[in-house]
Amino acid sequence: MVVVSAPKPVEALADAARDQLAQNARLLRVSARRLTGRRSARWLGALAALAPRITREGVALEQHVREGRFQRSLALITALSSVAAGIEAGTEHFRGSYSQRIMYSPIALGMTLAVTSGAAVFSRWAARVALPIVSLVTLVDGAVGFIFHVRGIARKPGGWRIPIFNVIMGPPVFAPLLFGLVGFLGLLTSFLRREDDPRGRLPLGTRRSRPAWVNLLPRAISREGITLEQDVREGRFQRGLALATALTAFFNGVEALYSHYKNNFQFKVQWSPVLLTPALMAAGFGAFWSRRVARTWLPIVSLIAAVDGMVGFFYHARGGLRRPGALRRPLYTLAYGPPVFAPLLFAASGMLGLMASLMRRGK
Amino acid sequence: MKTHDTRSQSSQSSQSGQSGQASQMSQQGDAERIGGVEVERLPRDPRTGQALAPRMQPGYYPGFSTLSQQSFWDEATRAVVLKRVNQPPPITFFDADEARVMQTVCDRVLPQDDRAPDRRIPILNTIDERLASGRINGYRYADMPPDPQAYRLAIKGIEAIAQSMGATTFTELNLRQQDLTLKSLHDGHPIAGDEYWRQMNARRFWLMLVSDCAGAYYAHPWAWDEIGFGGPAYPRGYMRLRDGQPEPWEKVEHRYEWEAPPESLSDTMESLSDTPEASSFTPGTH
Amino acid sequence: MKEPLFGAFDGAKPDEHYVGPIQRIDAPMRHYPRGEAVDFVVVGVGSAGGVLIQRLAKAGFSVVGLEAGPFWDTERDWVSDEAGSHGLYWNDLRIIGGSDPLALGANNSGKGVGGGSVHWAGFTPRLHPSDFRVRSDDGVAVDWPISYDDLKPYYELMEREIPVAGPTYYPWGDPHGYSYAPHPLGGVSQTLVRGCTRLGIPVVAGGPVAINSGSHGSRPHCIYRGFCIQGCKVGAKQSTLVSHVPDAIRHGAELRDKCMVARINLGKDGRVTGVTYYDEHGQEQEQRASVVIVSGYAIETPRLLLNSACPGFEQGLANSSGTLGKYLMAQIGNVVFGRFDDLVRMYKAPPANALTEEFYETDPRNDFVRGYAIQTVGPLPISFAQHMMVAQGAWGWGLRRTMMDYNHWSALGVLGEILPWEDNTVTLADVRDGFGLPVARVTFNLHENDHKIAQAGVQKTEEIMRAAGATEVTQEPRYAHLVGGARMGADASDSVVNSFGRTWDIPNLYVCDGSILPTQGSANPGLTIQALAARTADYLISERENAAAPTAATRIPVRYSLSPSEVAGRGMPRLKSRRPTTFGAGALGPGSRG
Repeated sequence: MVVVSAPKPVEALADAARDQLAQNARLLRVSARRLTGRRSARWLGALAALAPRITREGVALEQHVREGRFQRSLALITALSSVAAGIEAGTEHFRGSYSQRIMYSPIALGMTLAVTSGAAVFSRWAARVALPIVSLVTLVDGAVGFIFHVRGIARKPGGWRIPIFNVIMGPPVFAPLLFGLVGFLGLLTSFLRREDDPRGRLPLGTRRSRPAWVNLLPRAISREGITLEQDVREGRFQRGLALATALTAFFNGVEALYSHYKNNFQFKVQWSPVLLTPALMAAGFGAFWSRRVARTWLPIVSLIAAVDGMVGFFYHARGGLRRPGALRRPLYTLAYGPPVFAPLLFAASGMLGLMASLMRRGK
Repeated sequence: MKTHDTRSQSSQSSQSGQSGQASQMSQQGDAERIGGVEVERLPRDPRTGQALAPRMQPGYYPGFSTLSQQSFWDEATRAVVLKRVNQPPPITFFDADEARVMQTVCDRVLPQDDRAPDRRIPILNTIDERLASGRINGYRYADMPPDPQAYRLAIKGIEAIAQSMGATTFTELNLRQQDLTLKSLHDGHPIAGDEYWRQMNARRFWLMLVSDCAGAYYAHPWAWDEIGFGGPAYPRGYMRLRDGQPEPWEKVEHRYEWEAPPESLSDTMESLSDTPEASSFTPGTH
Repeated sequence: MKEPLFGAFDGAKPDEHYVGPIQRIDAPMRHYPRGEAVDFVVVGVGSAGGVLIQRLAKAGFSVVGLEAGPFWDTERDWVSDEAGSHGLYWNDLRIIGGSDPLALGANNSGKGVGGGSVHWAGFTPRLHPSDFRVRSDDGVAVDWPISYDDLKPYYELMEREIPVAGPTYYPWGDPHGYSYAPHPLGGVSQTLVRGCTRLGIPVVAGGPVAINSGSHGSRPHCIYRGFCIQGCKVGAKQSTLVSHVPDAIRHGAELRDKCMVARINLGKDGRVTGVTYYDEHGQEQEQRASVVIVSGYAIETPRLLLNSACPGFEQGLANSSGTLGKYLMAQIGNVVFGRFDDLVRMYKAPPANALTEEFYETDPRNDFVRGYAIQTVGPLPISFAQHMMVAQGAWGWGLRRTMMDYNHWSALGVLGEILPWEDNTVTLADVRDGFGLPVARVTFNLHENDHKIAQAGVQKTEEIMRAAGATEVTQEPRYAHLVGGARMGADASDSVVNSFGRTWDIPNLYVCDGSILPTQGSANPGLTIQALAARTADYLISERENAAAPTAATRIPVRYSLSPSEVAGRGMPRLKSRRPTTFGAGALGPGSRG
């Protein structure tokens, strides 16, 4: 990318946020004033001056994310994503006529996960007990779906010997993995702390209650698991989330590439997700290795990707509506028009990247 | 399996030789030629009036080659299409005189003068093979003799028309006269040779003749390249279904202007939809 | 990609019989000893015959199917090529005459296992309730001996077995939905949808069509290659060859291909004893059976019965009514072509893809009764050239010029009802075929109402084509489909068979195919033929299970358990109907519910 001066405001934001950690929230006005003093972040200062409340909420949110205290927000995001993913799977499977019963599973799971994570916004129990189970099943369903889709392509005339044609015209090979992503989000949610949890760490030596099944796992695994969980609880999983960003960017990018290729790139803008994907992947992988990339490139590219997804959503919706008689056949338009939810999934990759950039890294 | 081999082979075989003879016989003296074709026979550029040189591949899809995709076809289809390209059947049904007349008839019903001489599609061979094998389309009109007889009768009728125009045979007529002869069959009112045409419905024969010629020409991959048809599509099908978008291996359209040779009558078309014979020669659609 | 991975594709495997890319005939064919009588012999394994042998075999009866054409191995015998598919059609000689001779062969008759369903485009609309009451409602033709409601469960059943892909809501006739999703639009269907939408005419997109929009057991999803009427090598488009015959063989049906039945033999007791046929070596053979079912379609069925004339039936077997071979019907099939400035590429996507039945029913504002449908068609280059030869009168340079614009043209088909007329007949000609059997002579004449429907249909379709943006519009008259010739009726004096296909004259001789339709509506007949076959099979099974009772019965249980095994557990819940299921004709008023 060629943007050179842009990293600074974000760095500034990051610096400011780091300062915030050291200070009490009541010092917000002070820090905002300090920000205003920085030349490169004058716009942020102006914003802070105009809408101190927004800034305060934003910084508080960022702080919550850094400390892993955003279970309720992420539960809400999970709920919305699983609705979108369920509808997406529903329309895609409609195109395949539900010719096998298992094709109903992502709809059922998408809805269950939506309800569970919706409940997790309000109920600690739902978040701690129900959500991880449903999320895990969703993850497994995504993996099973991936196998079915690979097999589905193999069973088309020509099979994997004409991969380009059959991947484009066959079952979308990475879509089940993207569906599994909401399960991953749900799982992540269940490990987080709630926003109103006490700040800081638990006193040393305090044992937290864990589900009984954890004890059934081999010690080495459960120890690793506990460490991991601890990191997630404390918001120390930037590297993991950055990796997830890169992977979902890849899946989304491939889907965008072949569906726009199928459409012969009739519009120039159809290249945008294809071109953004390597950038987002690079940023994601880069953030895995380098804190600097995680604080600079990752949020920028992620933001562009998120915006691009929104723009794509608009174009896709408009493209569908412009077809003759689109509203007379809403289901048909949804199924065979441009896939309206696909760009949102791309945007979700960007959101994931943004979230990762706000995280802390592991110890 | 190699595309280029098939082309060079078939270019020899598709040259039945009769085409060239027929054109020479119909001309007096040494006519001016472009790319081996007499100028009189070539389509024109409407802006300049200049004759357009024969092309390896006429049509608006330069560089498009269905044969280049043959490894994506299934074996059975590939065998059928390559046999069509590489091994045109020999002439066995028509005798030499009949073949000479029929070759000229085919050259007018489906002119290929804009094609380079070694890229012409054998039509007569395909018709001959159908008649020799007794293959029919599943029916015969009560007012028509069996197809082989119909062709023999029509050749006599066409020769009678040629003689009424003062020539000894159809191939001696000039282009305009040849087209006039055929146009009279199209119109259902043959100029002469009533004793032959009385025995069958001339327009039904005309429709069978054009169908057979079109059936031979548009079954050939070179014709598919000319019109931009994608050709065989199994196991690989099509993915760009909407808006006339080309598949990755297809080409976009590049049009050019052309008009038929001035002496030709076949570029002005008159619909036959309101004639009694209209619905008589139709392929399946539903 | 220059080549598929691992090189060029191969084709058939020598020791396997493939019907589709991955579906094999997976059970050894049963062979009944020659000279031994079987329960059922079915003459002709096409749309009806394929369904019949599958059901009868699955119900546990001994069944032999005799088919004049070959038992296709789709990988070996079928090609993705227009000219190379000539062998799919019934190309044997028939003589055609009358004021409007019917083109046959590729136009409407198949030869080989699967019959015409091998080369149909696959449109599968149902008949409308009004089609069963044409005499009562419009004062022309005849009523069916059954109502729509008698056939409805079989429509629903066959739509699942085929399976039919179509819109979630189909507004005409008896409104309903489909359990397989509609297909995406191609260039031609875009034309129809755009034109109709601009004119405010309701139109459905993506079906109803007998093409998989989702894998169905070992039959793959459609690959949108457009070679539907050249035989679907993909196995996505249904023919009974891929949908029912494999299951029939699995359940012990014997299928003898390349066997031409010469005559049906009548015993002294007035019952048929079996059939005499020429086997693939040209040897005369006899197959005895308790019941003979003729499923040879609208021309070969009357021909066989006429050729089976014998003492007591001098005018043809089961022809005491004198109606055998009469009331033959085709449908108006005019094709309207439109040239667009933009590319269409009509060879892609299934030719059968979108339609409107908005003008299907009798409209008092018209000067004719009954109506027409408008459907997409997608002729490949040779067909298109032959169409243009008539529509434009194209030949020579003109034909070359039009063909160079092939990708700019779109084509819509009118499908109009032709009423059954007594002078449209199948008789025997004085010409004989290779076996020495007299060939059929088909006489066809259009009548005033038929002409008016054609004219109105063409006019409306041209209007739609122009509304869609065509700059040049032309049309060609032609016919599609074939039905009638051995019609069913409520009265033995004016029909050949009853509603179950049993001949009035001979209790163990049945006719079951398109020839028993008394009227035809403006719907493609394929689905109706298969639904009637499933109904006849249910009747035969009920009759055999309960030898005394059901001969007079008009209602028999629908045997859902006889569907091929891969049908269960597939597809979506669908809209059944808003119409109450009432038995008996004429219970509800006429009219489109669109």
